[in-house]
Amino acid sequence: MNASPMTPDALPQPGVITMPVARSFVTVVISTLFLLVVCAIFAPSSVSWGALSGSLPFAAIIAIVGLGQLLVVQQGGFDLSLPGAVSLAVVVATHYPQQNDALLFQAVLLAIAFALTAGFLNGVLVSFFRLNAIIATIGTNALLYGAVFAVSGGVPSITTNLLADIAGGEILEIPNSIFFALAAMAFVSFMLKKTVIGRRFEAIGANPLAGRAAGLRVRIHRMMAYVYAQLLYCMAGVLIAGITREPTAFQGDSLLLPSVAVVVLGGTSLLGGRGYPISTVVSAFFLNQLSQFALTVGVPFSAQTIIQALALGFGIGVYSIRWTVNVRKSTGTKNVEENK
Amino acid sequence: MKYSSVAKGVAFSLAATVMAFGATNIARAEVPSWCGPKKATLALLDGYGGNSWRQVTTASGKQTVELCPNITKYEYADGQGDTQKSISDIKSMAAKGVDALVVFGDAGPAVLPAITSVFKAGKVIVPYRVNVGGKEGTNYSKFIGSSFVDDGESWGNWIKSILPKGGNLLFLSGPAGNSQGLDELKGMKNVLGPEYVFVNQAPFAVTNWDPALTQKVLTAEIAKNAKIDVIVSDFGPSLVGALPLFSKQGKSIPALATSDGNSLGCFWNENQATNPDFKLFTVATGNDNVRLAVQWAVALATKGVPPKDEVFKAPAFENSVTGQPKAVQCRKDLPGAIYLSSELPAEDQAKAVGK
Repeated sequence: MNASPMTPDALPQPGVITMPVARSFVTVVISTLFLLVVCAIFAPSSVSWGALSGSLPFAAIIAIVGLGQLLVVQQGGFDLSLPGAVSLAVVVATHYPQQNDALLFQAVLLAIAFALTAGFLNGVLVSFFRLNAIIATIGTNALLYGAVFAVSGGVPSITTNLLADIAGGEILEIPNSIFFALAAMAFVSFMLKKTVIGRRFEAIGANPLAGRAAGLRVRIHRMMAYVYAQLLYCMAGVLIAGITREPTAFQGDSLLLPSVAVVVLGGTSLLGGRGYPISTVVSAFFLNQLSQFALTVGVPFSAQTIIQALALGFGIGVYSIRWTVNVRKSTGTKNVEENK
Repeated sequence: MKYSSVAKGVAFSLAATVMAFGATNIARAEVPSWCGPKKATLALLDGYGGNSWRQVTTASGKQTVELCPNITKYEYADGQGDTQKSISDIKSMAAKGVDALVVFGDAGPAVLPAITSVFKAGKVIVPYRVNVGGKEGTNYSKFIGSSFVDDGESWGNWIKSILPKGGNLLFLSGPAGNSQGLDELKGMKNVLGPEYVFVNQAPFAVTNWDPALTQKVLTAEIAKNAKIDVIVSDFGPSLVGALPLFSKQGKSIPALATSDGNSLGCFWNENQATNPDFKLFTVATGNDNVRLAVQWAVALATKGVPPKDEVFKAPAFENSVTGQPKAVQCRKDLPGAIYLSSELPAEDQAKAVGK
């Protein structure tokens, strides 16, 4: 790699991020408020506290996997090993302890160990061997599903009472999973926006060549994105194991699309760069509420899927247009992208 | 000393041999009528083997095969939910020279061409439980269905007994448009009049039999409907995680008409005291459907006497109100993912599901 073709306008990229409120955040929040108003008018029961406390845990799960996917997308990648990773965390957290509370801690440690292994594998393949992220992570997903079958035989197992209390319980009538999601969001935001390592991470995502020219360790940061992501998937998997009493061995399958969707709806470019953790979490709430609204209104199952797909397409459309304008006007990222 | 111990050993082994022969004779005496004189090989083909219900079913099928000593070889293949793999499994088993195939055709009519080609090649092929279309004698040797309409009628009759004046019912089934759910609904409608209102969208609320989706769907339905008197579900155990939602919203869990599962029975035991409306009625979940299919396949392949039944009827299993035919069953010492209604002993099921 040659470090010479550094364009002067590539360097200020990290500085752009000092904007107080991201436009994507405003968009997402306004959309969510609009949805809540629509819900309150057409399906008031879907915004009752009972309904919310039942559906919010699933929003929390989507938020956490979305944060994981966000970190990978920021590095211009895609993590398709998410279903396997979440499913593996679920089966490790349920099958290893076999309803024995005393073994839960070890089970969670084991799940984390698997997550780290998968994360490093993904990261090394993508960052050091320069494999296409989609291909590398699909491969890893297959390996993870192999592990899922080895652990579970494809059979669901009942969760431990302790985990059900921790993940499925409530404090002040708020589901605990919400606190986990908020903690994950706060942590990711803080690390990304307020620490040196996070600023470097984001700068590399925006422009790896410039990052390299600036002496940043591009490969390590790119690799670590997959590791962080796996840890978040693992957290989501363990939470699912607690929220659903008898989770299946394939619980991660339905999360891949929403994970990408919330990243996109949150305003993060699929080409990498600046990430919006808070917008991503709000989008997760939005997407979940949208499906809950569709269920409550009682539209046919086919239409429910279409509504979600439309919302997704709409989100992608809105941000795609904004992204092009943004890049041309302010950052000049596009020039560098073209040089690649 | 040495001589006497050798003598003892010889005596023991003689005795053991005699007993073993005796046992074989007894076993021979117990060969069921569906097991004929001709020797044959048999394969059990699953479309999707990845859950405990299937594993218990597979173990039941294997146990049934073992009752017939003239089945010289038994094989199993799992399509893993992949239609292509299911089709190639069916064809390759036939190509390997297996005489009789018992097929769980999850993919429905998509596997019919493969089944037909195997049948045309002169093999015995018995699809069961999932309707694959086609005709007996043209596309396959015999189809052993399960009467889901009967299940619906059993539920309907029980609902009538606990709610004689009618009420609000919520019916949850698996993937959209699955024939099992439609048949069950037909059964219920045969029994229940218009005073019983289904509050879900027609024909049933879609859950894909996935506990997480079930939880979401139930959340929405509880919020939408102030009064749900009975929940009907064709896979009871997937409801277990979702039922506490009622308590969270300050309501009693309503009556439940469903299929059995150990986790569900135990859940009822733990929660019935605090939920006065929580009555439970289950039909057997139908693992033994495979036994009838295997018996037919073996009978046709070995020239035995086919069983009388051609359709598997799941018997009523638990009733928390009358205790007839059984009170609610729970085996806390065994995994939740086993089915106490199955003929396969609970301990063997526990082994089959891996723990």
